[in-house]
Amino acid sequence: MRYSAGSLAEDWLTGARKPLAFLAKDFVNAASYKLAFVSQIFGIFFSVITFFFMSRLFGSAVLPYLEPYGGNYFSFVLVGIALASYLQVSLNSFSANIRDAQILGTLEAVLVTQTEIPTIILCASLYSFAMTSVRVLAFLLFGVFVFGMDIGGANLGGAAAILLITIIAFSSLGILSASFVMVWKLGNPLNWIFGNLSWVLGGVLYPVTVLPDWLQQVAYLLPITYALDGMRLALLKGYPLSRLWPSVLPLLAFAGLMLPASVWVFQRAVRKAKRDGTLTHY
Amino acid sequence: MSLALEAAGLTKRFPQGRRFRDLLLHPLAKRLVTVLEDVSLEVHRGEVFGLLGPNGAGKTTLIKIFCTLVLPDAGVARVNGLDVRAQGKAIRRTIGYVIGDERSFYWRLTGRQNLRFFATLNNLSRLEADERIGELLRLTGLEAHADRMFKDYSTGMRQRLAVARGLLKEPDILFLDEPTKSLDPIASQDLRRFIRERLVEGDRRTVVLCTNNMREAADLCRRVAVLHGGRVRACGTLEEIQQTLAGRERYCLRLHGPHERSLGVLRGALPGDEIDAPPPDTASHDGLLFRVHLSPGRSDISHVVEALVRGNIRVQGCWREEIPLDEIFRRLVG
Repeated sequence: MRYSAGSLAEDWLTGARKPLAFLAKDFVNAASYKLAFVSQIFGIFFSVITFFFMSRLFGSAVLPYLEPYGGNYFSFVLVGIALASYLQVSLNSFSANIRDAQILGTLEAVLVTQTEIPTIILCASLYSFAMTSVRVLAFLLFGVFVFGMDIGGANLGGAAAILLITIIAFSSLGILSASFVMVWKLGNPLNWIFGNLSWVLGGVLYPVTVLPDWLQQVAYLLPITYALDGMRLALLKGYPLSRLWPSVLPLLAFAGLMLPASVWVFQRAVRKAKRDGTLTHY
Repeated sequence: MSLALEAAGLTKRFPQGRRFRDLLLHPLAKRLVTVLEDVSLEVHRGEVFGLLGPNGAGKTTLIKIFCTLVLPDAGVARVNGLDVRAQGKAIRRTIGYVIGDERSFYWRLTGRQNLRFFATLNNLSRLEADERIGELLRLTGLEAHADRMFKDYSTGMRQRLAVARGLLKEPDILFLDEPTKSLDPIASQDLRRFIRERLVEGDRRTVVLCTNNMREAADLCRRVAVLHGGRVRACGTLEEIQQTLAGRERYCLRLHGPHERSLGVLRGALPGDEIDAPPPDTASHDGLLFRVHLSPGRSDISHVVEALVRGNIRVQGCWREEIPLDEIFRRLVG
């Protein structure tokens, strides 16, 4: 088959419109539940206030454990919570979207279209990621402009790069988790294991260095540990990319290996559901 | 190549849910239920083909196999010559699936927003999508309701929107899964008229209609396959099925004469053939109505009439009766 430049461009444009179509659909859907939509926005504000009062508990004293990240607990925990939000949405949104589509009955209608499964699974979670980004941005803006968090010397480019790799790494876990839902519908061990271990050991609310040595070794098996370390160093200490490699490399390796593997597993899971006739079961 | 769909020896078994006890005692054993067994059929291009059968007959599973939503365990299924196992992507370009379940839409989006979303997933450009959606909304009579939320649609409107969605990519083959299910008789008739006039007579598409309504199939389809218990019980035109099924002709005889003697003469003239007689105490000025089922090549209605006349029984009327559709259905799946 021969393609002209025009038809290729048109194909690309059509493909590029799919993420937007999912985003628009999910936004219209979410905005139609007006009360939930508004309370979600207010929720962001209350979360930030909670962190602020937590930080007052520690005062402005520089805590030795936090010294590598600038020493301020409020800034430390805000970055921790922001990135943990991405972990949470990555782990949950893919599987939740699949389960919603199974329960609502829209899954078959989507799977019979000319859109391939990897595109569907990735695009279906875009809205959750967009909302999380809005929330994280609000955290940071409140932190900086209202509560005096200092990111004056931040390496924003480096932070954005780490965020992108982190989202890819976390998403691969989420897609694996969606494969469980596709086959077993409920009961998803991956979410539980990674969610809880990351929260407890990954350094969300306290630095990994406060953990006993053997637990620190476990912590360094989790992608969130590297993501948080790199993000804090980029945002709070303004490290250039050349000094962020120890955090970026493990994340890149994790993302590079796990993303194709998880998409492959998900395709196998869909095939199994098609074989068992359970695509729409829940 | 004139075949739109082809199934040969198609078999599908689904695993059944197991209890904890079974899981503990026989963790590796699988309990399977057969949904399709050795199904073979062909659908020609441009024809309207009916898949008939009671609930649980395997109709929807068969459609889902052709739509690449379920994979067969054995046998071959081809759509426009493409294999459902290996060429799913190419198949999905050529088919439209009208899902009977109204929950397959996003309820809090308008009809137009729903169609626009599915048009994008079907690779229609914005311009193509807008044109096509406008045309389909007009065609399905939903133009005035296009910007209402789907949740506010009536059942009939939802089914029409499902048809519109199925037609978005102008498919070669359209699968309709019980499109008139839960519609009132008028809405049902309207939708049937739309299918007949626009899809069949107008567009000359290949249409596969899945239904458990024999009359609907007779109204719309040139050929049908009757499925029951996962097997094809009959396949062909309704006339062919009527003949194959019965293998007999049915005649009505209105007779003037005593009940017992009339029945005796009939039994004498038709040894071994089925006779439906009125109750013995039936009294009627118009005569008694008997139904006889003749085996072709063995009995002849003229011989029966001759025997009645010889037996001094006045034959007031004699006519051939078509086997009613419902009865055909009942006999095939009963």
